[in-house]
Amino acid sequence: MSSYIQHLVEGKIDFEGQKAVEKIAHNALIAVTAISFLLGLALQSLRVTFGAYGLGVTILFLTVIPAWPIFNKHPVVWLPAQETKKDK
Amino acid sequence: MFAEELKSLRRLGFRHVLLQILNFASVLASGLMIWKGLGLVTNTESPIVVVLSGSMEPAFYRGDLLFLTNPPNTRYQTGDITVYKIPGQDIPIVHRVLETHDVVKKVKGVRESEPRPENQLLLTKGDNNYADDVELYQGLEWLQRQHIVGKVRGFLPYVGYVTIAMNDFPQLKYALLGGLGLLALIQRE
Amino acid sequence: MHSVYARINNVSATLSTSLMILLAAIACSSFLFTANPTGSVNISSVKVFSAEARRYPNRQQEFAFVDFNITADLSPLFNWNTKQLFVYLEAQYTNTQGVQNEVVIWDRIVVRKEDALLNYAGKNKYPFRELSKKFKNIPPANYTLKYNLMPYVGLLTYGEAARTTAPVAFPLAKERVE
Repeated sequence: MSSYIQHLVEGKIDFEGQKAVEKIAHNALIAVTAISFLLGLALQSLRVTFGAYGLGVTILFLTVIPAWPIFNKHPVVWLPAQETKKDK
Repeated sequence: MFAEELKSLRRLGFRHVLLQILNFASVLASGLMIWKGLGLVTNTESPIVVVLSGSMEPAFYRGDLLFLTNPPNTRYQTGDITVYKIPGQDIPIVHRVLETHDVVKKVKGVRESEPRPENQLLLTKGDNNYADDVELYQGLEWLQRQHIVGKVRGFLPYVGYVTIAMNDFPQLKYALLGGLGLLALIQRE
Repeated sequence: MHSVYARINNVSATLSTSLMILLAAIACSSFLFTANPTGSVNISSVKVFSAEARRYPNRQQEFAFVDFNITADLSPLFNWNTKQLFVYLEAQYTNTQGVQNEVVIWDRIVVRKEDALLNYAGKNKYPFRELSKKFKNIPPANYTLKYNLMPYVGLLTYGEAARTTAPVAFPLAKERVE
């Protein structure tokens, strides 16, 4: 139980997941910024701009911050512990 | 809990602590350099100010960030928004120029051919106030050019509210400082 | 990027950069919208009266009273980044000592585009005084309607919407209101 809570709070993801998250965050932010600017410019409303920006950022945070299982599909495989002579 | 942290701190070693301090100092120094450099370029003692009162509403609200310049040898015009500080008054005031009078001074008994910007007399008023600012001038009849810190050029809303919040709630300041310090100690790569 | 904390840290750094770029883009977009509204200013009458000075009750000073009407359509100045317009009527004159004077006698703040069609007749809102206390022998003054456009984000801009066609003279002071 406590390990489960720790997992939720720490939210560790594997290296492949990290790479994916970094890429998603970067591209999504560029897209959200550009789209919200153009949308606001077209509709002549700053409210639209910041509404779209806020919505986009919220969605991004929800996809990227929690440790979704999809970011943990490639766990690091450790080599088996080698027996040393001392133990024998 | 703290024993653990202390142990990890000791493990980092003396050089690491020194490096952290050096990093911190360089951040401080570059901040100061940027501030003073901006001050040099814009010719004003504080190139960025935070609005502290509501006397310019609805133009500026508390917490808005203003960018100032104070070009030398340029006269101020009506409608310009100035930041001024009169000796004996502790906080600078952001108000709009209502009247300008470019006085021609006599130098050694001879009247100069053109008024000089530094002899300009001004009267200001807050957009949200009913009357002009004569009452704020500490007995002076007019605002003089030497009292002016700068002219408002640009504007960014709300960003400065952090400083107002910190002034209103000092606990927040200590919490923030403590939190940052703790993070700097704990975090290691 | 391993733990939640590291991810929040990393994403917020990119977020603040993108927000700065967005704000800068909005500020720059103001330059796309160029409007040069025009209107007219008419001075119907100027009267000068002598009265007690504001701060010194036993000192006499002359005050000018200006009746004017303004028409101007300032709605082209409103775009997505316009927070408000500060519209003001200014008198400009040079007195006999060579002092150049600019005095705002009336102003109005326009926040909505619907209110930007100005059609106003009235008199000065602020006291119109002379530095030398008297308007006698003061050359005629020009009256100009100006505006200051304030954006939500970005630079403040100024402009002139209208100006009197000919300078208007100050009459001699009258003792009492007729």
